[in-house]
Amino acid sequence: MFELIKNVNIDFLGKRKVAGIISGVIILAGLVSLVVHGGPHYSIDFEGGTEIQVLFSESTEVEAVRTVLSSIGYGDAAIREFGNIDEFLIHVKTATRSEEQVNEIREAIASIHGAESYEIRRLETVGPKIGKELRGDMISAVLIAMIGIVIYISIRFQFMYAIGALVALAHDVMITLGLFSLLNLEISLSVLAAFLFIVGYSLNDTIVVFDRVRENAKTKRHDAFVSVLNLSLNQTLNRTVITSLTTLTVVTILLFFGGEVIKPFAFALTVGLVVGTYSSMFVASPVVLIWDENQKKRQNS
Amino acid sequence: MSGTLRMRVFLVVLLIGSAAYMLKDTISYYTMDEAKKEALLESGELEKIRRNIIHQGLDLQGGMHVVLEVDLEELIKTRVEGNDVVIDELISSSLQEAQQEEVDFFSTFATNVEASNVRLARYFPIYEKGPNADVMDALESDAKDAVDRAEEIIRNRVDEFGVSEPIIQRKGDWRIIVELAGISNEAQARELIQATALLEFVLIQEDSQLLNEVIRNIDKAWAADMGDEDSTEQLETAAVDTSAEDIVPSLADVLAGDEGDSLSITGTGDIGRPFSSLINVGSNTIWVPEENVRSIKRKLKKPTIAASIPTDSRLAWGVSSRDISGDGRLHRALYLMKGTAELTGDVVTDARESLGGFSGAEFVVHLSMNDEGSREWTKITAGNVGKRIAIVMDGHVHMAGVIRDKISDGRTQIEGMNDLQDAKKLAVVLRAGALPAPMIIEEERTIGASLGADSVASATRAMVIGFILVIIFMAVYYKGAGLIADVALFINLAFTLAVLSTLNATLTLPGIAGLILTVGMAVDANVLIFERIREELRNAKTVKKSIDDGFGRALTTIVDANLTTILAAGVLWQFGSGTIKGFATTLFWGILTSMITAIFITRTVFMVLTERKTMTKLSI
Repeated sequence: MFELIKNVNIDFLGKRKVAGIISGVIILAGLVSLVVHGGPHYSIDFEGGTEIQVLFSESTEVEAVRTVLSSIGYGDAAIREFGNIDEFLIHVKTATRSEEQVNEIREAIASIHGAESYEIRRLETVGPKIGKELRGDMISAVLIAMIGIVIYISIRFQFMYAIGALVALAHDVMITLGLFSLLNLEISLSVLAAFLFIVGYSLNDTIVVFDRVRENAKTKRHDAFVSVLNLSLNQTLNRTVITSLTTLTVVTILLFFGGEVIKPFAFALTVGLVVGTYSSMFVASPVVLIWDENQKKRQNS
Repeated sequence: MSGTLRMRVFLVVLLIGSAAYMLKDTISYYTMDEAKKEALLESGELEKIRRNIIHQGLDLQGGMHVVLEVDLEELIKTRVEGNDVVIDELISSSLQEAQQEEVDFFSTFATNVEASNVRLARYFPIYEKGPNADVMDALESDAKDAVDRAEEIIRNRVDEFGVSEPIIQRKGDWRIIVELAGISNEAQARELIQATALLEFVLIQEDSQLLNEVIRNIDKAWAADMGDEDSTEQLETAAVDTSAEDIVPSLADVLAGDEGDSLSITGTGDIGRPFSSLINVGSNTIWVPEENVRSIKRKLKKPTIAASIPTDSRLAWGVSSRDISGDGRLHRALYLMKGTAELTGDVVTDARESLGGFSGAEFVVHLSMNDEGSREWTKITAGNVGKRIAIVMDGHVHMAGVIRDKISDGRTQIEGMNDLQDAKKLAVVLRAGALPAPMIIEEERTIGASLGADSVASATRAMVIGFILVIIFMAVYYKGAGLIADVALFINLAFTLAVLSTLNATLTLPGIAGLILTVGMAVDANVLIFERIREELRNAKTVKKSIDDGFGRALTTIVDANLTTILAAGVLWQFGSGTIKGFATTLFWGILTSMITAIFITRTVFMVLTERKTMTKLSI
């Protein structure tokens, strides 16, 4: 047998304080960044606005694009080079009428080298009203998913496991969200979908461990709960590492080879996967342990 | 082999077989070359294939997605008599308020109207004078009507783009979603979507001699066109041309034989009559079998063929197909009409569907016109009793009715509708020409075809690399068992794609990402099982017992763990929009099928392997 991890006996629960500090620091950094940036940096999907990816057939400087856009009053437009040379992504904040905005920008771009010199590779414009609605829809989707998950775990396991899983989830989403804020990356529709995937994946990991805990709790009734947890974590460690590795492999490949458009999405997945694997070992189980200890204390007193 | 095992193997084979069958159309569609596609398109076969394939999303093939919303402010303001600051201000502020608080505009408007003590009837004389609530209702139904009209106009026009599967959908009360795949000139598309509809009343040419002549001319021009396109075919054409005259009955004979019914002209392979061999003619109308519509449409657009139609006439298609002969075959009407319209839609003041007619129980449409229109209408109807007049919107004939008698009061009753739905639709079309429906683009997403192709290329590359790496890893780590898992992975991917084909799903870029993720995660169930088997083996159990216990114990874990991911994917599928839906769908089915392959198919393979001899060593 070829094994990655052989006969290990890691004291996961013993490291819960260290893990707590690490998680706390990262979450805090993310929160500070979110406060400083005034909330998450939403893409046009949620804020409304126009994004145009334009490819020029003649050599073009960013400055030239900036100048024409400033001249029509879009001085605050974000312009960045994208993919190829002479390819730019222009991002303009929300306007009342997106159509007029698109036409204005189009004319401005055409004025650089003429109408035949550019190709609009991608154009996305979202009115402020729709953006707001999309945000509402997605937030309710995340909430519904979370409620459904808590109900499911409470039925299949016990409420305290649901709490453990939920804390781990919140932990994962907060860290990913914080990291996006720290790196000043946009939260778009697809990134939000990635978040929801992370929720599902992180849970998947956590439940495999809980499943083992449930099984071991029956056979090793006389052992301390903390050692049952540790044993279960160690028994499932191989599986956790292997599955996380295969999934991580394909996600990183997606990040590097999947193309420019999918990059933010793949990045969210990559971060979420690493954090999700970590939290199922170092967050979910400790929370269950703490909950269990508190309950026992209350019963004894 | 034991009975249960034989049953299992049979089921596995059945599953794989049906997956292959479900995938058949998708594979043949995407491996087909353009020429074959074109041929199938002409014969109408392609539509059948397309019903069972995975489609490419707009982000992969390029195209535009537009969400239009009726411009309530504009719509209501145009209905206000004169220029009035008070009401304009009230409308604008109510709209803003409604937007900010995400509530219904009309209820906000109603509250504000009450608060400011305005009598609406004063500002909106076009509605019957009544209490505010009545005017408000009239305004609201007017606004909803505007969306109906815009939808009808767009439906009429997307045909022009040659988009294979346009999607036109209502969303809520005020929005229309339009998706045009493969559109490259989005500026032109945008204009066409938003421009006002042109409604016309055009007399139909009731002269069978003329129709006959036009068909002959098209035949000639068409044959010449075919000759231009393919020089080798030219010789054949010439050779068959003369003989064809004798075999096929002349069109005039056919028409003389029976005026009322449609007659078919046989001989589809006939090159001398390329046009008339594809059509049926009856009642001075050309009836085109549905499967020939596309190719005829295309041919008629060719300048040389279009030029064969006399300048004082034009051909126009009916909007929908009908089963005219009662044999279940659908035909589309092609009318030969006068070149110029008798009247345009701006004279229409209203059109309403209702019950009426001779018995009082038929579905009819009441059409009213303004004074100028009524005068013209009297003249037209008086001079053309017994002839047909067509209601044409943007070049499409929505109805061709016989003028029964002179209509002098401008109040026309249009009869002959099948049901209320038909009547409603015609009324909508008639009103479309009356008042423009102001629509604004609230959301637009256009992806250029080149970017789409880039995305497909890189996503596919990522998928192949990921797949290979995972396969190698499993084979190295779990050896023989790993190879079984690899086979399961292939089957899983095929199953997922098969389900997507059957669902007629649309694959988007996040959808491909979902597939890639599935590849990574699908091994999870196998890993869970294999790790469990290894544990049992370590506990010195026999190979067979280890396998049984490994599968048995891993089962609940697999179900519990995967169900949560499926739950998250399901929520996304239900609530997500656009491309996100694609991601959720692939993930949902990918994980579901991976459970089936890991629990059932892999297990069956193990059972077959360990059946004969008592294994002492397992490659795992």
